[in-house]
Amino acid sequence: MTAISIAWITLPFLVGFSIYLLPQLSRYLAVAVSLVSLGYGMQQVLRSSPVTLQLLDNFGVTLTIDSLSGFFILTNALVTLAVLLYCWAGDRPAFFFTQIILLHGSVNSAFICADFISLYVALEVIGIAAFLLITYPRSNRSIWVGLRYLFVSNTAMLFYLIGAAMVYQTHQSFAFTGLAQAPTEAQALIFVGLLTKGGVFVSGLWLPLTHSESETPVSAMLSGIGVKAGVFPLVRCALLAEEIDPLVRLFGVGAALLGVVYTVLEQDTKRMLAFSTVSQLGFVLAAPEVAGFYALTHGLVKSALFLIAGNLPSRNLKTLRLEPIATQVWLPLAVASFSISGFPLLSGFGAKVLTMKNLLPWQVVAMNLAAVGTAISFAKFVFLPHDTQAESKAKPGFWLAVGLLVAGLFVANGVYYEAYNPTNIIKPLATIALGWLAYGLVFRRVLVQPPRVLEEFEHLIGVMSLVAIALFWMVLA
Amino acid sequence: MPILEAFIFATVFCGFFGIIWKRNLMMKILAMDVMSTGVIAWYVWVAARDGLLAPIDTGGEAVDYADPVPQAVILTAIVIGFSIQALILVGAMKLSRDTPTLEIREIEKNNTP
Repeated sequence: MTAISIAWITLPFLVGFSIYLLPQLSRYLAVAVSLVSLGYGMQQVLRSSPVTLQLLDNFGVTLTIDSLSGFFILTNALVTLAVLLYCWAGDRPAFFFTQIILLHGSVNSAFICADFISLYVALEVIGIAAFLLITYPRSNRSIWVGLRYLFVSNTAMLFYLIGAAMVYQTHQSFAFTGLAQAPTEAQALIFVGLLTKGGVFVSGLWLPLTHSESETPVSAMLSGIGVKAGVFPLVRCALLAEEIDPLVRLFGVGAALLGVVYTVLEQDTKRMLAFSTVSQLGFVLAAPEVAGFYALTHGLVKSALFLIAGNLPSRNLKTLRLEPIATQVWLPLAVASFSISGFPLLSGFGAKVLTMKNLLPWQVVAMNLAAVGTAISFAKFVFLPHDTQAESKAKPGFWLAVGLLVAGLFVANGVYYEAYNPTNIIKPLATIALGWLAYGLVFRRVLVQPPRVLEEFEHLIGVMSLVAIALFWMVLA
Repeated sequence: MPILEAFIFATVFCGFFGIIWKRNLMMKILAMDVMSTGVIAWYVWVAARDGLLAPIDTGGEAVDYADPVPQAVILTAIVIGFSIQALILVGAMKLSRDTPTLEIREIEKNNTP
């Protein structure tokens, strides 16, 4: 197992750089890497006991691979595969595929590492690969968006590094397990880093602009899997240490509510999807025990939605309501919207039921509100006018990619088939009905643009310091 | 030693406040570098708490040696920090063609939808 795991984790980096030497094979090599990850992830999901690897002696790299990592790896493989299929026919150069595969590999390594320094390296590589993908069009706007992302994430990671050194001071080791008994400052600083990197709650306000202004496949990749690399260690730490668990849950609830308020009001499709990512990450964190399945469902649905939104005639929902869109594009859009709202027969249903079951009593009201908010927001997509005669300019790769992701939503539904009993089915249906009613009566007519002032660069850094201070108080309490 | 630690944290804070208060992108990047210098110094300080000598076995008597683990770790972080600085500076260079002053507000006004 050790040899297979090491071969699997190094493969993306070896192939990533070889792609640059063999540009003709770029697409095939990239798809091969994601298929290998798919197989490996599938195997880990079914695994009952975790594997722990200790590489290079006592102070070396520690890796832990269990079914939680398995779910995240599987998500990563499927999202990468879909993005590659989407880009298959275009004239994208080898450079693009190199970056996608390096991003894939570094996200994978973030999902299996068990010490703060390996995680730091993985997160920084993700930052660099994401920056190169975002700035790839080389327009001034994309450069600014990428620069802003890299700057914010690097500043957050500096705080994280200070925290990691403090953990080392107390335990003479960088292992995740040390976080529980580490000084409070260490916990606060590490959290600042991970919350910012994962785009959680107010620390995640860099995310909407970054994800909405990137190219379609890049948005799908970043929103589907990129941010989960920051969320995964939070989940892992919450499961390892009881003291951390309430803090993670609290931030989950905060993120779910903050994201959903923006999602409901937003009239730009890509920005709406980006804010919905903030809110869905809140769902992932709200119940750390079952985070894996929710992350898988969200990864599939969000990348599908981003790919579809990129092929709609306009980004503005008001414009989209005037002219009918092609029914064959509307269909997957509606299926994905149903899944994210938690409609039975799609994996979003099982994931929501499972998460709601594992909430603590104080979280229930807030998370149900967030679920209604999600239904309201995605009613905007479900009720778009559509017409079989309307033309779509989508390429064959688009259909393959979206087909894969939507099929994934149906298949993943089987993971938690115990969810199908009358009470479980009625509740999400009621939530969706309530959401649609609210949409039809109120929110369809509301045209309040949420302010963007908090997304300005200086406020992002300012908010980071406020979160740091708040965290100091929370861990001291 | 505590004074040294205080200076290190002062450096980190100087850097961070520079990132917040400086209006110019170039100055912000430099401030980030100051902050990361502070962090690197903090790792060196952590390593040097128990001794300053290199941990080389010369066969002689045992000496107080510096902890090699944080030093090894921070070497990686220095390389990563350096490459990120380089990428950000290239970005700033490209942006300076349209916004020669590199005032952050101007850049933001021109480049956000």
